[in-house]
Amino acid sequence: MNDGGFAQFLPPLLRGTELTLMLVAVSGVVGTALGLIFGMARICPVPPLRWVAAVYINFLRGQPVLIILLFIYFALPLLFPLATFNRGFTAIVGLSIYAGAYMAEIFRGSIEAIPKGQEEAAEALGMGYFGKFRYVILPQAMKIAVPPAIGFLISLVKASALVSVIGFVELTQAGHIISNINQEPLQTFLVVAVLYFIVSYPISLLGRWYERRLA
Amino acid sequence: MTTSTLNGSPIIEVTGLDKSFGSNQVLKQIDVRVTPNEVVCVIGPSGSGKSTFLRCLNLLEKFDAGHVVVNGHDLAVSRTNLNLVRRDVGMVFQSFNVFPHLKVIDNVMLAPMKVLKLSRREARERAEALLAKVGLTDKADAHPRQLSGGQQQRVAIARALAMEPKVMLFDEPTSALDPETIGEVLSVMKKLAEEGMTMVVVTHEMGFAREVADRVVFMADGVIVEEGPPKQIFDDPIHERTRAFLSKIL
Repeated sequence: MNDGGFAQFLPPLLRGTELTLMLVAVSGVVGTALGLIFGMARICPVPPLRWVAAVYINFLRGQPVLIILLFIYFALPLLFPLATFNRGFTAIVGLSIYAGAYMAEIFRGSIEAIPKGQEEAAEALGMGYFGKFRYVILPQAMKIAVPPAIGFLISLVKASALVSVIGFVELTQAGHIISNINQEPLQTFLVVAVLYFIVSYPISLLGRWYERRLA
Repeated sequence: MTTSTLNGSPIIEVTGLDKSFGSNQVLKQIDVRVTPNEVVCVIGPSGSGKSTFLRCLNLLEKFDAGHVVVNGHDLAVSRTNLNLVRRDVGMVFQSFNVFPHLKVIDNVMLAPMKVLKLSRREARERAEALLAKVGLTDKADAHPRQLSGGQQQRVAIARALAMEPKVMLFDEPTSALDPETIGEVLSVMKKLAEEGMTMVVVTHEMGFAREVADRVVFMADGVIVEEGPPKQIFDDPIHERTRAFLSKIL
């Protein structure tokens, strides 16, 4: 192998890991916010809001992440010629709306798991729609939502590898480029795999810790 | 004792109330007046519509026709501010519905703070007084899951009272309780009645109805069959249907 050994390729791989973490963190947070909004809208008393949420959730959950990313990156600029979609922005938007659709279903399910009597007790006390959600329904629903949300977050780490398709150099794409340079796919992808593990395993541990705490 | 429906202006006035679930009409032309300080017990067989009737009084159940006027607000009018009306109407449920994620004291403090905008200190003082009243001072910092059914129901009563309602609705408050804890809930309710709280109680506890009610309403098949002072309803019912019901349960 060339001078410097494998160590010289570590910084770009770590940079890729950093970007993967950034992608997952930002799209995880934005996706959770979108999920909360659309999950609540999906079961709110206003029919048009329910329809909009249903279309968003059902349509996006049926799409491969690849198609979402390719559509935003290549197709949207044709519809909006003045807007520019750089790779990072596309990656974050694509993963966020994908995450939003899944998180919406997780939140909807968790909210619906709360007994009807809780809602009625809050209503009978004169709490309005938002007070009822804020103080009675959501605190209970969040507890139920955490385990599936953590499971989804781990799958979001893996889905983030797909943004390499639009040329965003996160961990997978970094590994791909480096293995082309150093012709050492075995070493390179092994290191990539270990780095993915280092990112996702703490999330599983977090989930396990949470479930133990509940038990 | 207020036995007449004619004296005083009613706090609840129900006229021509109709309610159907699909093709099943569960309430047919119900007329009821409840005057301040009155305790009305609603009795009747399962499926008679008594719980549905009660739930129409704070619009947890929407009705199809008629009027429910609570404290001067007509619930049949869509611009009525429902949350404002509900502040004055406390409700206690068969299944308690205490908030499991909140400590006992926080269950009682929540609505006064969030709805009435009381300060934390005011709400706490009010909650502590009410927990003392229902005999649960020592459980203030407990979580609901650590309590018995009777204790949970007393928390639910304190929670409803914390809004300082003008009327309290009880929907079979002891039906989900172990027999040994029914008494503690009934005695809290009796104390409330003695203090002059206006109460509408759907119940199967005939002893309670006889002892505490000013008026007993007997419902069957979605209609009010007869109503009157407990002594008359229990000892000398006019209708055969009432007699048949009472003979089965007494």
